[in-house]
Amino acid sequence: MAGYRLGIDTGGTFTDLQLMDEASGAVIALKTPSTPDDPSRAVAAGIQALRDRHGIAADAIRYFAHGTTLALNTLLERTGARVGVLMTRGFTDTLELRRLRLSKANDFFVPKPVSPVPRRRVRPIAERMRADGRVETAPRRDDVEEQVRALLAEGIEILAICFLHAHRNPAHERQAQAWVEQAFPGLPVCASSHIWPQQREYERAAVAVANAYVAPRMAAYFQRLEMLCQRLAMPCRPFATKSNGGVMSLASAAARPVETLLSGPACGVVAAHILATAAGCDDIVTFDMGGTSADMSVVEGALRTGGETAVGDVPIVVPAVDICALGAGGGSIARVDAEGVLKVGPRSAGARPGPACYGWGGKEATVTDAWLVAGILSPAGLLGGEMALDQAAASRAIDRLAVPLGASRRQAADAVLQVAIAGIYAELLPQLARRGVDAAGFALFAYGAAGPTAAFMLAREAEIARVIVPPAPGLLCALGGLLGDLRADFVASVWRDTATLAGDELQAIFARLEDEARAWLAEQKVALERVYLLRSADLCYAGQSFEVNVPFPEEAGELTAAAMVGWFHRRYRTLYGYADAEAPVRMLEARLQIVGATASPRPAAPARPGSAAGPSGKRLVCENGETAWADVWPRQHLRPGEAYHGPLIVEQYDSTAYVPAGFTLSVDAQGHLVGERSR
Amino acid sequence: MNRPMNRRIRLEILCNRFQAIVDEMAQAIQRTAHTVFVKETQDYGAALVSRTGEVIAAPRRYGVLMMIGMPMAAALAACGDDIADGDVFVSNDPDATRGMATHLSDVYLWRPIFVEGRLLCWAWSFIHVSDIGGRVPGSIAPSSHEIYQEGLRIPPQKLIRAGQLDRALLETVLANCRTPAQNWGDMKACLAGLDTAWRRVRALVSCYGFDVVESTAGEALDYAEAQARRVIAHVPDGTWRYSDYLEADMVGQGLVRIHVALTIAGGEMLLDFTGSAPQVRAALNIPTWGHHGHWMLITGLVNWLCTCEPAIAYNAGLVRPLKVKIPRGTILNPEPGAACGARYATSHKVCDVTLGALAQAVPMELPATDSGQGSILLVSVPDFQAGGRKVSVVQPIVGGAGGRPGDDGVDGTMVILNFLKNIPTEIFENEMPEIAIRHYGLRPDSGGAGTFRGGTGIEIEFETSAPYTQVTSRCMERYLFGPPGRLGGEMGAVGYTLLNPGSERERDLGKIDLLEMEPGDRLRIGTQGGGGFGDPLEREAHKVAADVANGYVARASAARHYGVVLADDGTVDEQASAARRQAIRTARGWSKPPLHGFGAARTAHSALWTEALEDAIVAASEGMPVELRQFLHARLLAEIARRHAAGERPAPPDVAAILAGLRAELRPSG
Repeated sequence: MAGYRLGIDTGGTFTDLQLMDEASGAVIALKTPSTPDDPSRAVAAGIQALRDRHGIAADAIRYFAHGTTLALNTLLERTGARVGVLMTRGFTDTLELRRLRLSKANDFFVPKPVSPVPRRRVRPIAERMRADGRVETAPRRDDVEEQVRALLAEGIEILAICFLHAHRNPAHERQAQAWVEQAFPGLPVCASSHIWPQQREYERAAVAVANAYVAPRMAAYFQRLEMLCQRLAMPCRPFATKSNGGVMSLASAAARPVETLLSGPACGVVAAHILATAAGCDDIVTFDMGGTSADMSVVEGALRTGGETAVGDVPIVVPAVDICALGAGGGSIARVDAEGVLKVGPRSAGARPGPACYGWGGKEATVTDAWLVAGILSPAGLLGGEMALDQAAASRAIDRLAVPLGASRRQAADAVLQVAIAGIYAELLPQLARRGVDAAGFALFAYGAAGPTAAFMLAREAEIARVIVPPAPGLLCALGGLLGDLRADFVASVWRDTATLAGDELQAIFARLEDEARAWLAEQKVALERVYLLRSADLCYAGQSFEVNVPFPEEAGELTAAAMVGWFHRRYRTLYGYADAEAPVRMLEARLQIVGATASPRPAAPARPGSAAGPSGKRLVCENGETAWADVWPRQHLRPGEAYHGPLIVEQYDSTAYVPAGFTLSVDAQGHLVGERSR
Repeated sequence: MNRPMNRRIRLEILCNRFQAIVDEMAQAIQRTAHTVFVKETQDYGAALVSRTGEVIAAPRRYGVLMMIGMPMAAALAACGDDIADGDVFVSNDPDATRGMATHLSDVYLWRPIFVEGRLLCWAWSFIHVSDIGGRVPGSIAPSSHEIYQEGLRIPPQKLIRAGQLDRALLETVLANCRTPAQNWGDMKACLAGLDTAWRRVRALVSCYGFDVVESTAGEALDYAEAQARRVIAHVPDGTWRYSDYLEADMVGQGLVRIHVALTIAGGEMLLDFTGSAPQVRAALNIPTWGHHGHWMLITGLVNWLCTCEPAIAYNAGLVRPLKVKIPRGTILNPEPGAACGARYATSHKVCDVTLGALAQAVPMELPATDSGQGSILLVSVPDFQAGGRKVSVVQPIVGGAGGRPGDDGVDGTMVILNFLKNIPTEIFENEMPEIAIRHYGLRPDSGGAGTFRGGTGIEIEFETSAPYTQVTSRCMERYLFGPPGRLGGEMGAVGYTLLNPGSERERDLGKIDLLEMEPGDRLRIGTQGGGGFGDPLEREAHKVAADVANGYVARASAARHYGVVLADDGTVDEQASAARRQAIRTARGWSKPPLHGFGAARTAHSALWTEALEDAIVAASEGMPVELRQFLHARLLAEIARRHAAGERPAPPDVAAILAGLRAELRPSG
């Protein structure tokens, strides 16, 4: 019997499904409206649609990975659980003080940061650990119980315990947790040293508290999802996608939902990386543009993970695929300011009311309206015509800009596009510089519903020579889930000069991390094709505050501090052009990632009709100051081995690609569109 | 490719490109620099500068955000005509650059950008180096009284000539610094940033052409100016005065008056600082050279412009309408050679004063006063292993933000110093195990009462186990006069420093300059709360109850300041509250809320030291040689204080005669 792998990604507006035939690698894509009150209804509807439209029954699904924005929205919208927190006496304001820094500069009305836990629900415990893990004051059972009793009177549903220096010595947190579990059975507890034992009390507490904050809601949701799968007789246990680009069991996800916060965009990057590698391209800048924003990530042979992500005000230092927002989306609003200058963003019409052309009540001109008026989007609508576009409404909105600009309607639409792209460029370039990347050697990998529409214009602006558009750019995140590996991160804070670290000490640190990692993998209960470990360390020169993550070579031999310092110098030289071999080096964090790869085929190129069908028509496109006829190609009509010259438009169910003059487009063996800038 | 394009559309596109270049410069600097200053306090800057010395674009999110008001024309003039592609100039000298540099620790590097053999513009950067020599490590001590104590001065000159590094100059500079390797590393980071700008500007010209880029840069300046004028024009014309005091008592300078008369007319602002104190014998002077729109004088106003118009073009055009008048020989426009290392405290006070004046015109557009203190608490202990001493930052010691029309002030930090980050206790104690942090949290009940409460200050307490533990904290402020409230809002709490609080050895230290602690000593510092905004009696009672439940406000304060009486279960006692509020209303006896809530100490001070008297005191010594003026000004203040104490009330017209008497005493006898 044929088996299938299923990836489902729940977004704000749509729930995306990608189903892959395990034998052939053939992929089926599907979109269904999201159901924010209970996201599992959309999941059920999507699986039903697979049966109705494609005749694929749930019992043929052998692997199912699911990504959801539920945890993210719960934290962003502050709709999570009533959390109580125990903290070391003298430090109960750790969540209030944060790291002080405010999110916006030059704004007297910058929003006041709001902790997920009100101050009264943070209680002091008279205990103290010193930086070296030595006990100064041990906690007392009566103190802990009394404080928890007071928190329960405040109506808490879950408890977080965040003691100072608990990453170094978790004894007090563990002791307090044991007392609480004995005295108050049924009260769930998250201890900071258990969730993510990294040095820095605020960041560690923020992770533990965020985890507690979203946990009850996520656990309930995952339970519904598991019941749904049982009801459908799906012969596999579902996995949840993770911010680090991997997947984990629902049981793990229910205990550590904080690791799912940024999983949606991470899965998109994972899929982009796998597809680009298959297309023979190792170095890409991903460009994911949707209605409200655009995201980018740098993939240089491998995914980059970072520990500096944040959800609103809350920093999340658990490793996540390094993604940064670029601002503009298809819904970004254009306006002419008092001095007669055209601006695009930062306001967005968002999903509702959306662009004027959606006909949902939006009156202001957006980037999407400009695409429509400029002739780039089809007046017949989106999603193969399922979603009609109101050309007249878009024209009216654009006309309101054209008058003060002294431009024609089409010129005004063009101007909106040029300004929008310049804005994205201005965000993109510094972020690439920050990552030490020169765009010239990279390909732009475009996805998201609007990514392929904007990517070629952006590539022209940023002097990027090549743009790649995958087969189903609008549903890439769902694909990332079904292609992802089991993946978990572990950390130990060391914070010592390497000169004082004996080899066996270092080996013991990593051996402990490896034990934890293998225990985690065993809990996932899944057959694996391959298991490997990625070890690394965060190191810096003593006295400096910039750490560098140094991956260890796979064949490292016996791990010694001297070898590690050697790798650090080499990595430092690569990044900064010089290294000081004499300076003392400090080890901050030991990191280990375990990866369990399931047997997954690679997606095959979409089937195409045998006939040599041509373009479906022509549209007059006004862009970059030029007006020209562009051929409109249904994507499945494009054939490998042919060269197509811009300007042209490629339409498909989930996206529209616009290829301006100066680019030559081809289709590769995997079915990617590859645009090369003419020299 | 030359794109045919509507001029105003092209303007926005090129503004974005300029912004991308300076942001990329900033990222290149931050990525390659290494010192804590750069990472934690973001004390560096990047800009593109026109041939005439105006900033075309500067980062809005990275580094020091006030590059747009840096006067660079004098530094450019000092470069002369001997300018070639591949040159890089250097200077840190406030006097030779006439107010571009404002203390010696900021090292500036700038490089011409030639395209097709023509000079198009300049790439510009600075970085705060860890040490530039002088009498103390770190180079900055509030008590320094001449610039020669503050380190090495580098007049504008070429560090790199057509690509060739001047090694002799570099070695001379580095030989005068305590941290040569770090300084050179940071300077190299700036060079990397300049190189980025050089490449990107040339690429931009290849896309748009020299003339288009050059003329659009000019249009970008005009555009920002037009936006700024539009924002200013919505303020009614008029003149508003305001003054406040720098608390320089810990360096023997007493209260130093900062005064402004802000005139708004025709879309321009004139900041007349006449009446501000003579230059001081301490490192608190700001060498602005009286430049219009100088960045250290306009931080508050630029924040206001950007708050009113978030999309405002961020370049020097924005400061063109901000005119300045400052007499020479005063703290904001000292004669050459004045010490200026710790000028930040003064700049922050100027910010408070300019906003205090502007608030009289547009009270609903500005927050109440923030804590006014941006101090860095440093501790050093003997290092018994390696010898010498170990030094570390304990925490930035800042207080709360002012309450705002529509929202409470931010707790524990300020909008003006939004970029400051604190240091995790776990990192600090790991680096310096001799010190144990005993408490680090918000300071309850410190935010000024108001319809919108001022943000609370912070409290920190630490204990040392090491002998000869030394603590320094520069730029401590507002221990005497708290941050004023606004429109009926009350003053935020003043700061305090206690040694061994709650013990028999407790001592109230006030602002500290240098403190030595013994093993077992504990030091506790509380910072100011922000001023409150609006009448506290108008604050919704349930919000007051929530503030009490969450410990931001004490129960007693809820009744005393807000007139909110709480039942035992913490809920609002409506009846008792209504009565209490009515009683407060009757007792205070005003119907229209006072604009400034100065608090008792400042009000009492100003009753004696009236604005007219203070104006007369400053005017009396005007025109005298610097040191004579400083001496006589101090004597004059002391004499008037003596007369006040004796129950006299010297009138402004008496001041000149009193001064003449003091001066006569100086004549050689015989």
